[in-house]
Amino acid sequence: MDVLLIDDDTIGVFLTERLLKREGFTDSIASIPSAEEALAFLQNAEPHQLPHVIFLDLNMPLMDGWEFLEALRPLENRLLGRCHIYILTSSLAHTDLARIEQFPLVDGLINKPLDAAQIQAVRAQVEAALSAGQEVPASPADQRP
Amino acid sequence: MSDILQLKESEQRFRALFENNPDLVLFQDATGVILDANPAYLQAVEKPREEVVGRTFNSFLPEDLRALFAQKLREAFEGHKVHFDVEVQFLGAPQPLIYAVTKVPLVADGAITGVHAVFRDMTETYNSNRVIREQADKLNTIFESITDAFFLLDREWRFGFVNSEVERLLNVKREQILGRTLQDVFPEESQGVLHEQFENAFRTNQVMHFQAYFGRMQLWLEVKAFPSKEGLSIYFSDVTEKVRSQEELYRQNKDLQQFTYIVSHNLRAPVANALGLVDLLGTLDKDSPDYKPALDNLRASTQQVDMVLRDMNTILSIRDKQGVEEPEQVLLGDIVEQARLNLAELTTQCGGEVLTDIPADLYVLGNRAYLYSIFFNLLSNSLKYRSDERPLRVSITARAQPGQGAEVVVADNGSGFDMEKAGLDVFRLYKRFHSSQPGRGMGLYLVKTHVETMGGQIEVSSAVNVGTQFILHLR
Repeated sequence: MDVLLIDDDTIGVFLTERLLKREGFTDSIASIPSAEEALAFLQNAEPHQLPHVIFLDLNMPLMDGWEFLEALRPLENRLLGRCHIYILTSSLAHTDLARIEQFPLVDGLINKPLDAAQIQAVRAQVEAALSAGQEVPASPADQRP
Repeated sequence: MSDILQLKESEQRFRALFENNPDLVLFQDATGVILDANPAYLQAVEKPREEVVGRTFNSFLPEDLRALFAQKLREAFEGHKVHFDVEVQFLGAPQPLIYAVTKVPLVADGAITGVHAVFRDMTETYNSNRVIREQADKLNTIFESITDAFFLLDREWRFGFVNSEVERLLNVKREQILGRTLQDVFPEESQGVLHEQFENAFRTNQVMHFQAYFGRMQLWLEVKAFPSKEGLSIYFSDVTEKVRSQEELYRQNKDLQQFTYIVSHNLRAPVANALGLVDLLGTLDKDSPDYKPALDNLRASTQQVDMVLRDMNTILSIRDKQGVEEPEQVLLGDIVEQARLNLAELTTQCGGEVLTDIPADLYVLGNRAYLYSIFFNLLSNSLKYRSDERPLRVSITARAQPGQGAEVVVADNGSGFDMEKAGLDVFRLYKRFHSSQPGRGMGLYLVKTHVETMGGQIEVSSAVNVGTQFILHLR
């Protein structure tokens, strides 16, 4: 499973990466330290380059996590069912949880730090979605020629 | 013959006047005996003529008035025309009435043969005058007893009634302003809210209710202006304390939001990392290559927690000192030079320069440490966010603004930022607009806090890749 971390906090990236590896989630982890760069990557990525799971930080300078999600809307059809975005934030703001409803690409919100139970939950959710997606494509855009 | 005829005619005319006079008319001799009385008098005492004529006037008077009438009668018999007002209840009369009494001596052949006394009933006039006087007194009492200040402006904007609360709040004496126009008494208000709203009230004939700052006394006033045919009735009260505490409340509320944000984001982030790292370290073998970086990161995270707490402490202590520390006159050039020198090495290293143009005798009212922090932070920012494409140039220029302190402009040719995106957020705590440079987002927040604590203001303008300019208004 390919994982992309979008987070400007180097300690946060170090930690998330090690925890994911420790829990056997995946060994294929890339990280991008700014939302703009991540957006450019996703816009230009070939379908096979798209990560299966994105852990997105919210609090970043310049473009923050929410702005990134807004900017991603035009790509929604291409990404739905293939890219599962989890918001991974240290923020405790309750409003965040309600806000994710507006973004179909977002599968969940996790408060930092990530722990073993959360990682297993994400794995179960993503694997279920992926196997379902193989049988019944989530959207027409998913059907490759 | 014709003389007698004329006499007769004149006698008749007099008789007619006497009989039909609505005033009470008596003719008395020197002892006070009534020699004649007109029907109006007979009616007033409710007696037939025969029970009046031949009796003394005293017998119709209450005892306490007898001396007065005797005295007046004597004066008339001395040849004077006597005039006086008196309240009398004639014996037999249903109620007391107020009379204007005139006693006129009748002179025949050089001798006074009697005195005509005319009683004109003034009761009604008297009473209505009294009502008017009482109502005026009552109004006066009301206007003095209401806690609001109250005054009247006539249609020419002249002060009419002014109560004592007006005198107190506006620091005027009513005798100095009555009859003068508002513009004449408070010329400085002619462009102000008061003038504008009174004009509205006159023009629209609508009640105006508003708050206005009265600069001369440094008061916030809550004002109601009621238009009428005569002009404006204006009530106002001093709400300075209320306005100030609302401002304070608003500021504290904003601070609270800010601190909630800090706790939720800036404090929570390193704490969350620390928690995760402790979890990770618990499962790592000491010989694992991840062990040392995990421990280093744990250290860094706890240091970050400490730094945020220190920042909060710095900010809170500035807030605490607000209004406590006495501002002093500080030589602006000195402070700027100190900040410039302390950053001189860094400036030279990057090939930049700081140019200052500050009048040598320019003093500003404030706090030395705050002023230093302001210029140190602004210069640090210019250095940090300089453009790679050109050597950094920062200019600091200042000029006195008579009566309003000083205007200081700090301008650089650095990388700038997008005003539309950042706007006033640049001054927010922990808000950052550059990802290429490390920063805590503390500097500009401190600058703004310091400027405002000293009663000043700060504005910013910036253009990407052109530079940033801060304009400070100091006192």
